[in-house]
Order: sequence, then structure tokens, then C-alpha cells
Amino acid sequence: MATVFMKWLETSPKDYDRGIQLLTLGKLQHVKERIVRDYIREGTRVLEIGCGTGTLTAMMAAQGASVTGIDASPAMLAEAEAKLGPDIEAGRVTLKLMDATLVGDRFPKASFDVIVSTLVFSELSPDEQRFVLEACTTLLAPGGRLLIADEVVPPRSLTRLVFYLVRLPLVLLTWLLTRTTTSALRDFDSLLAQSGYRSAVPVSCLSGSLVLYEAALSQTPGTEFQSPIPKLRHRVTLRTLLVDLWALFFRIIPPYPKFKTGLYAIGNPDRKSPVLVTGNFDLTVRRVVKALDGRADIWLLVADSAGINVWCAAGGGYFTAEKVIAAVQSSRLDEVVAHHALILPQLCANGVDGWRVREETGWGVHWGPARAADIPAYLAAKRKKTDAMRWVRFPLKDRLEMVTVTLGFYGLLILLPVFIFWRSMFWPVTVSMVGLSYFYAVVHPWLPGRDGLRKSVPLTLIALAGLFIYTALRDPLPAERLFNWVVGLTALSVFTGAELQGMSPVMRGEQANWGWEAVIGAALGLVYWLTPLALGWR
Amino acid sequence: MGSEPGLMDTLAEHWEIAKKLRSLQIHFDPEKCKGVWQCYEVCPIGCWTPDYERRVAIFHDPEKCVACGACVLQCPEDAIELK
Ligand code: SF4
Ligand code: SF4
Repeated sequence: MATVFMKWLETSPKDYDRGIQLLTLGKLQHVKERIVRDYIREGTRVLEIGCGTGTLTAMMAAQGASVTGIDASPAMLAEAEAKLGPDIEAGRVTLKLMDATLVGDRFPKASFDVIVSTLVFSELSPDEQRFVLEACTTLLAPGGRLLIADEVVPPRSLTRLVFYLVRLPLVLLTWLLTRTTTSALRDFDSLLAQSGYRSAVPVSCLSGSLVLYEAALSQTPGTEFQSPIPKLRHRVTLRTLLVDLWALFFRIIPPYPKFKTGLYAIGNPDRKSPVLVTGNFDLTVRRVVKALDGRADIWLLVADSAGINVWCAAGGGYFTAEKVIAAVQSSRLDEVVAHHALILPQLCANGVDGWRVREETGWGVHWGPARAADIPAYLAAKRKKTDAMRWVRFPLKDRLEMVTVTLGFYGLLILLPVFIFWRSMFWPVTVSMVGLSYFYAVVHPWLPGRDGLRKSVPLTLIALAGLFIYTALRDPLPAERLFNWVVGLTALSVFTGAELQGMSPVMRGEQANWGWEAVIGAALGLVYWLTPLALGWR
Repeated sequence: MGSEPGLMDTLAEHWEIAKKLRSLQIHFDPEKCKGVWQCYEVCPIGCWTPDYERRVAIFHDPEKCVACGACVLQCPEDAIELK
């Protein structure tokens, strides 16, 4: 609920404390008291990132800490200076005007026992969050703690729903008023883990939407908050059914269903069990689990692929060696297995540089099979891949699925306007589109042409032949209407051929098609417009 | 708005990339190849076959290559290029 107030508060520091009090229902004050009580002692060296008007700064100084506060807003800082005058004079508090992203360069290494930040990280972009977190790793003294109190998207679905229901109108309003928007932290635990921290959540309020993270460097001995490695089982629930249904039609539309990154167990793996790596697309993880549950005991390391399937994520630069390295480094793999062999999905080889992973982590990289279903056989054969496991074909089932996925998206895009503005043509267009798409999916391998755009030529010819035969035998049309149908079907066939096979990299140069489609579309438009003029129909 | 690249520029840029993507081809230098078979391991199409005797990879089926770039990235000898 903080969004509108937050933007308004940033420009009026005098009311800041009262406003924050109001919009977190007093809970933030409670969190601050916990911070002071549990982590601040006489002489604790504290860095406060985003000190605002200095409320927490004053509380910590009163406890005997020596606090360095930074803030990027001069107005806030002026307010804090007025409030903290005596503490500054006594040398207990130092205030600096500074952006959070600069902390790494401006302070000596290992110079703080506690780094604390309230309601700042949610205002940073994910990249900035990662950057600041990494900078903080060098600033923390041995045994030091990073404390972050912030708004988060609640992890449980029901509270999340309530959260969004309350938040959505406010976000909209803020955007209308200020053209900016704020966001609550999401998946912050995995970000902490990736940046080299072990974290726990000692305080959680407002049904999990305001929390305090306590984080310590994961290399530091004796500061571990270890939870058992979670086990994944193959389960079909209402949620997975709904996600699958959504993905079947609208897979291309973000937000993509994400799986939490980290290390998981499938079956009962031990120190010799293989380690598989995969991306964090929800469907991908569940497919791997389904293929392996009950058939093998393995460790599954889910790395951040931005919630996209590994092949597309690797091709698009979302799934890289860095992501795999980060996942390996931040996991507890070293503790749970005795070997050093990673099995990566073969299909991420177009983006994840295996040699970089080998160099940076010291782990060996093996390219597993292309499909999850082949993993048990691959493992049983002692990591020997047959050519069939290596090769990606585009079998009928995949083609039908692909066509359905793309139809879901383009169907909305094309059929909705047709339905609204051109209702009489809705059914003919729908039937042609769906019919052509599935026909294309079935005959795809037999159509000549290397890629979709070239395959669209025979497809067009077949469609037109069909049209002529139908009209000649069943339903003769006047020349004018026949002409319209020819133009329309040609356009639809080109579009179907070029687009409906989806974004799969198997179909080379998919991104390259739209340009030609635009040219062909423009040419068809011209023909549609000029021919009747030339023939005197209009 | 004035300093932003115009719509036409953006489109032209896209068009260039699109053209380039369509014309990408594998260029393989067998001289550099040391026969570690990474290309064979990762190619999803089966464009590469190891020649175990001569310890060199054989590139065939250029027509089928989907230009995914996997072999280029994984070849430790920089024997493969996509351009
Ligand atoms: S990966 Fe490179 S060096 Fe290895 S076999 Fe293929 S072309 Fe030769
Ligand atoms: S670019 Fe991809 S499809 Fe082409 S040869 Fe290399 S791995 Fe095979």
C-alpha cells in the first residue's frame, strides 16, 4: 500500500516519519525496534543505506553504535541533520549525501559490523539490488550482518492475491500522478543467495508483506542458517493444471511462471549422486521432476533463466555462464556431493559458455540430453548420449503444441479486433486461421523450404487451390469477393507459415521473418487497394 | 523526444539485424580443430560428426544448421565461426 504515500513522502520529508508510521500501520517502527534490540550494541559500527530523516539512525546512536548514514535526497538529509545535531557533534553519527550504488567505492573494506537498510531496496532495479548487495559483501566485517527491512510480494498465493488487489489501484494512481512506479521486493532470498549471503527472516509483518531479512556472508564460518535442502516430487495440483493451461495458450506473454532458484533433491541423493542444472521456468523444472521422480536420485540446481525455457533463455542472453556460476557458488553443492561434475542441459549450450563455467567454478561440465525425458536413460548409460538424445526434431506433438501456443497469442491479437470491428467476418477468419495453422502443423515436414517463410509459399498455393476448388464446386463467388478471399488467404498463409511455428530456435532466424512479412503485407495491401481501382469495381 | 532515434531508424536497424540473421552461416576451419567433439556434443541438429581416426570434426548438412551458435560458443579452439 505504500506506493502513493511513498512518492508523496519523498518530496515532503517533514511528514516522512508520520507517513511511514501510517502506511505500514506502525509495523515499521516495530521492525526498527527489533533491529536495535537484537543487533546493536555499544560500539557496533553501522552503515545505514538510505537513512531518510534519521529515525533509526537516532535509535541506534542512542544504543551506543557509531553510525554512518547515507541518503540520496538532500532534503531528507537536511532533516536528519537537524534531528541528529548532538550525535553528529559527539562523533557518534556521520551523514553523507550518496547514492546507494556508490557504497562499494567509498568505504574501506570490512569496516562495518552491521549494514542496515529500510525501504530502500524495493526502490532499486534488480540489477542495482544485486550490485549493492555485492558491494556490501566487501564492506561487512567478519561475522557482520546485513539487515534489510522492506516491502515484499507475499509468498503465499492467497495473501498475494489480497496484496495485488490492494496494490493495483494504488500503483495505477501513482503512475497517473507521477509517471513512476515502485515495486515490492520479489524473490529476494534467491538474490541474497546469489550475491553470496545466507539469509533468514527473523521478523515478518502485515501477512508477510513487510519483512526483515538478516543476511551474513556465506563464506563466514559459524554464521549459517541452514535449512534442509528441499525435496521435489512430481505432483499434479490445481495450480499446476492452471499454470499448464495458461502456458499452453499464452506461454509467450510475460510474466513467465518462475520457479525459485537454488538446490533441490529428487529422490534420495547422496554424495555420489549426479548434479543436474536447469533454468527456473516453472514448466521446465516440473518436467525434469516428472521425468526423474521415482527413477533416479539426483541433485537439481535451478539457476536463474529469467523464468524462460533454457533454449530460448540461452539464445536471448538470459541464461549465461554467469548465472550458472552464481548458482553453483551460492549453493551448498560443495557440502552435499563429493564429486565435481555438472550436467547441463544440452540446449543451453548456445548461451552458457561451458569453458567459463569450468574455469570459474572448477566443476566439470557435461552436456546432458536435449529432452528431460531422456535423462534417466542417459544416467543409466553412465552419461553416454545417443544421437537421438542429442538431436532436436520437431515431432507432430511438438508442432501441435507450438501452433496452439502461438494461436493463443495471435488469436487474441487478430481475432479480437475482427470480432469487434468486422463481426461478419469473424467465423470465416477464425476457421481459416485455425484450419490453416493445424494443417500447417501436420504437413510441416513435407512442405519444401528451409524455414517458415519459404514454407509459406507452398502453403499459400495449397490454400488458394483449396479456395478455388471449393468455390468452383460448391459456392461460386463473384469475382470481387473471390479477389478479397485470395488476398486475405495469401496474407494469412504467409503469416501462418512465418509465425505459427513459434519462436523455437529449431526454426532458424525466426526474428528475421517479420521484416519480410511487413513487406509482403504492404504489397498485398497495395494489390488489395489498387486492383479494384484498375478494374473499376470501386 | 527529440534526441531519441526515430521510428524509421529503429525499423531500419531491426531490418538489418533480420537480414543478417537470415544469412548466418557456419565457417569451419579444420586446421584449428583438435577433435574434442564439443560441437558434436551440443549440436541439436546433427550437423557434426567426429572423424575419430583423423581427430577432426566433419561439418555436413549446412542446409540444416539453424544457426543456434552452440558449436561456436563451445569450441575451445575457435575453429567455428558464424557469420
Ligand atoms: S569443438 Fe572445435 S576443436 Fe572440438 S571437434 Fe568441434 S570443431 Fe574441433
Ligand atoms: S550453429 Fe547450432 S545447428 Fe548450426 S552447426 Fe552449430 S550447433 Fe549445429
